[in-house]
Amino acid sequence: MEGKIIVVTSGKGGVGKTTATACIGAAMAMQGKQVVVIDMDIGLRNLDVVMGLENRIVFNIVDVVKGRCKIKQAAIKDRRIDNLFLIPASQSDNKDSLTPEDIIRLSKSLRGRFDYIFMDCPAGIERGFENAVAAADEALVVCTPEVSSIRDADRIIGLLYAKSITPKLIVNRIVPEMVARGDMLSHEDVVEVLSIDLIGLVKMDDKVVVATNTGLPLVLQKDSEAGNAFHRIAQRLNGQPNLPIENSDNGKGFWRSLGRKLRRRN
Amino acid sequence: MNEHRQAVRLKGVGDGLWVTIDPSQSVDLLKRDLTAIFKRLNEMAVNSKVTLDTETNESHTNLLDELGLFLKDRFRVATVSAPPNRRSRSREEERIRKRDVDRSWQHHRSHVLMLAGRVRSGQKVTARKHLTIMGDVNPGAEIVAGGDILVMGSLKGKAAAGYPDDEEKIILALDFQPEQLQIGGHVVTGIPSFKEGRAQFAHIVNNTILVDDYLKNNPFGRLPWPEVL
Repeated sequence: MEGKIIVVTSGKGGVGKTTATACIGAAMAMQGKQVVVIDMDIGLRNLDVVMGLENRIVFNIVDVVKGRCKIKQAAIKDRRIDNLFLIPASQSDNKDSLTPEDIIRLSKSLRGRFDYIFMDCPAGIERGFENAVAAADEALVVCTPEVSSIRDADRIIGLLYAKSITPKLIVNRIVPEMVARGDMLSHEDVVEVLSIDLIGLVKMDDKVVVATNTGLPLVLQKDSEAGNAFHRIAQRLNGQPNLPIENSDNGKGFWRSLGRKLRRRN
Repeated sequence: MNEHRQAVRLKGVGDGLWVTIDPSQSVDLLKRDLTAIFKRLNEMAVNSKVTLDTETNESHTNLLDELGLFLKDRFRVATVSAPPNRRSRSREEERIRKRDVDRSWQHHRSHVLMLAGRVRSGQKVTARKHLTIMGDVNPGAEIVAGGDILVMGSLKGKAAAGYPDDEEKIILALDFQPEQLQIGGHVVTGIPSFKEGRAQFAHIVNNTILVDDYLKNNPFGRLPWPEVL
């Protein structure tokens, strides 16, 4: 088995990296792949809370790297979703506890055990980022339709290209009504500036807040639009790259889209 | 000598004057014609470098000396000399020279740094002279050049032309929405893009940076002929 390491990053904090990592990892596991999600935000761990696995942590990634435990001991199995594992971050160390070389060494044994390894990258471009991208094969850049988020994502994309990684873009927290009113940048505006391949659009969804607080996986909720969007992103990553990207803009319903088509023709 | 050929002809070369004389004419006639031509030049002849060319392979040292003294006395030219010995080149040498001149552009070292692609946030491009970007400059990116800046795309970042103190330089972009502009030490921020989809450029007029439509105010009109940069 030769696993693929995918780093989820954004530069700016609070745009939904951790949620995206948890959701895409869970969705990928539901498609029958062996998946591990790794929290690289050492000192400020969150991924365990979002996944509802907080109280089962015994060992963490620093313990694995330092040889205090085996990968098998540190990887927490999710009881609701088969094939989904979490390697949590340490809350008591800081980011200098790991080096990029440590991660490259660790990645060799991870690739042998799992199909997909998702790394939740911390905000910023310092040591934490260096560690997370050290062994990455692919990168997902999460960006919200805000100028500050785009600016940071642009910087991150430049750094990823410098490491010969071609990133893909997730535009998170789109509010179609605001885009229609012209109060929010559309995903086209974001893609125009960042000019990388779009892999998914995620709408703003109140259920995300609930799921994050309760630790209930979003992707298990059938009626969550964001959860479905993450399912589709996982499908695109997992061998269906041409799955059409749903247009989340204003046009609701058949009649309005028909009207738009007629108007365009005139 | 036929009537059509003048005894004295003059042309400007590089840093001086090239005078072609017909050595078969009398010295007086040559002096008269030289006087007529040099009078017309007025002050321009003063301190100029004059080359006297007899267009023959024979040497006319006496004639050249006499005319040289005459020109120095009468019109205060700086130096008078015979043409450099260029006719000694063999045909083969001439052929090689011609070939080298034709190919010289292949070895020309450009003063323009030309890049294709997108300059992203946090990246900085610095050019000693002119800078051409075939692509976009994103917000947060920085481009600095000692000469002109041409962006064949949208300019949304920071641009500094004529760095550090050349105020003659311009910044041109097909889509002009910069965060900040600097030309030779002058700084301006918050430039509204008044014409979307039109190429615009910034230049200095009366110590202020002005933005103009490129097609209406051709900034390169100041150059009379195409120059190699």
